[in-house]
Amino acid sequence: MIRVQGLTKVYGSRTALDAVSFEVPKGEIFGFVGPNGAGKTTTLRILAALLEPTGGRAFVDGADVIQHPDLVHDRLGYMPDFFGVYDQLTATEYLDFYAACYRIPRARRKKIAADLLELVGLADRRDQSVDTLSRGLKQRLCLARALVHDPAVLLLDEPASGLDPRARVEMREILKELQRMGKTIVISSHILPELTELCTMVGIIDQGRMRATGPVQDVIRQLTSGRRLRIMVLGQRDEAVATLKTLPSIRTVDMINGAIEAEYEGDDATAASILQALTAASIRVSGFSQLDGGLEDAFLKATSEDVG
Amino acid sequence: MNRVAMALWNPIVAKEYRSRMRTWRSPVAMTVYILLLGGLGWAIFSSMSSSARSGFNGGQAANYGQALFLFLVIFQMVLLAFITPALTAGAISSERERQTIDLLFVTKLPSFSILWGKLLASMSFVLLLLLLSVPIFSLVFLFGGIELDQVVAAFIVTAVGALTLGVIGIACSTAFRRTLAATVAAYGAAFILLAGSLLYGLLFPTPIDPNATNAPAPPAVSYVSPLLPLITIGTSQPVTWYGIGSGFSSGGGGGMMCSGTPGGAQQCVPTNANGVVVGKGIASPIYRNPPQATGTTIPSGLFAGWQYWQATVTLQLLISLAALVFSAVLIPPTRHLPWARRTRAAGGAR
Repeated sequence: MIRVQGLTKVYGSRTALDAVSFEVPKGEIFGFVGPNGAGKTTTLRILAALLEPTGGRAFVDGADVIQHPDLVHDRLGYMPDFFGVYDQLTATEYLDFYAACYRIPRARRKKIAADLLELVGLADRRDQSVDTLSRGLKQRLCLARALVHDPAVLLLDEPASGLDPRARVEMREILKELQRMGKTIVISSHILPELTELCTMVGIIDQGRMRATGPVQDVIRQLTSGRRLRIMVLGQRDEAVATLKTLPSIRTVDMINGAIEAEYEGDDATAASILQALTAASIRVSGFSQLDGGLEDAFLKATSEDVG
Repeated sequence: MNRVAMALWNPIVAKEYRSRMRTWRSPVAMTVYILLLGGLGWAIFSSMSSSARSGFNGGQAANYGQALFLFLVIFQMVLLAFITPALTAGAISSERERQTIDLLFVTKLPSFSILWGKLLASMSFVLLLLLLSVPIFSLVFLFGGIELDQVVAAFIVTAVGALTLGVIGIACSTAFRRTLAATVAAYGAAFILLAGSLLYGLLFPTPIDPNATNAPAPPAVSYVSPLLPLITIGTSQPVTWYGIGSGFSSGGGGGMMCSGTPGGAQQCVPTNANGVVVGKGIASPIYRNPPQATGTTIPSGLFAGWQYWQATVTLQLLISLAALVFSAVLIPPTRHLPWARRTRAAGGAR
């Protein structure tokens, strides 16, 4: 649905994007993660045909963003990281205006506006002036605006920034609903937790370079080379550490908050044999758990390479 | 056809109408406009009627009517020169500042429609102001001395003048990222258009050619200003007091309307005919056919034979067109110039 090939954008002497490539198949929610200034917005603006790349190509539903911006605009809903609302218009008029900009006939606009306000939970605010809506509601209205022409692809730039937790949860529910409707969604964010639950795919970008991309679990595996164990023992801490260090699968051993944290190479069977080795050394293990390496760890790993 | 209609009447216009008329600013602007114009009209009217109390014959009434009309049209033009840039200078830049312009660019609306919609919406407001002023102008007909075609011509000049200022405002708004800069530039352009072009006529007047068969006319640049044709329309007299000969310095003694200027070449008033020497030692040139700068046509130069207002309207429409093309080239977020696309296609071919 979305194909990006070697996208490069240079502003003067600064390279904002350096040969970024990724693909998002139909129906996926692609989390586009990276610290501020990594190039997320630049990529999305190029995909929305609002910015011309210095090099590389990008396609939305088969349409080249440089050659056929009109086709791209037809198939794509874009929600930037700001609200972009006009004063003096009601929510219904706001949606009607954008529907008219998409050349939707007047007869259909009314229903579209009503349906979308229903979808984003603003049906009871349809006659409220747009500029008096709260931040969360404005954000939802902007999402509705991006949907007026029923696009197959949605680009959402930082949809959760500045929202309170409740509004974030609501936004997430709406996005899930949209996924059920078969839309391909790209969400950029520098806040990870919400993406971990929502996305089926993820791309990690830092300083204009794509660090990793693919299904969420793949990326996590790709970036976090080892798995971590948290081991609690009764006394005998030094013996336990010594025993662990003799095992070939163990890579590092740290003491964190009185517990042993060990990074190891291998799978669940390896973990079981580590436990066996400990008990065989007659160490009394009171706790033994695998630490879930999440997207956050993967992200921090991916983006700290240049810093550290 | 449908596409043309869509381009001309687009959602921007409707949206602009809504948001413009829902603020308190528009009624206030209209009220202030009418109060200023009506106030001036009333002041002139009352001063005239008090001075005319002693006696009031038809000829005097016509003069009063002309003077009233002249004051009103010029004041109206100056008012619009203050209002129009304010209406349009923020058109594009404020969308940029509010970052709503991207949202328009991702729709199917061509970027030219955005310009056009903004222009149409603000010009409609100017037209509304012009319509509101009609009752005040009808005051002139109480005195007479002004024909309907003069009023129509004056309104055309004023409307086209406002249109030009409007398009220039849009162009500034497209060229500058910030509304403040765009507004300053638009007012600067308005000043140049109204006064700067007249200043040109003062600094570089048309020299008097003793062998010319036609009466001299002010330089063509000065026709850009709508004030010149408005004065011509209002007075129904040729321009002899401006932009000709040694111009400003010695022309100061020439009086305002249609008295002889240095060189005495212009006989706008019949009694002034044949060599009234006012200048400093310049002998009155002798013509085989004394140039008759009578009527309100331009006697010589680029627009010889035209009415002043026709020349002004033509020049202003050309300026508007240029400004519109300039804005249309500048506005799109990604420029799809034919040559740029060709090189990219060539580079992109594998």
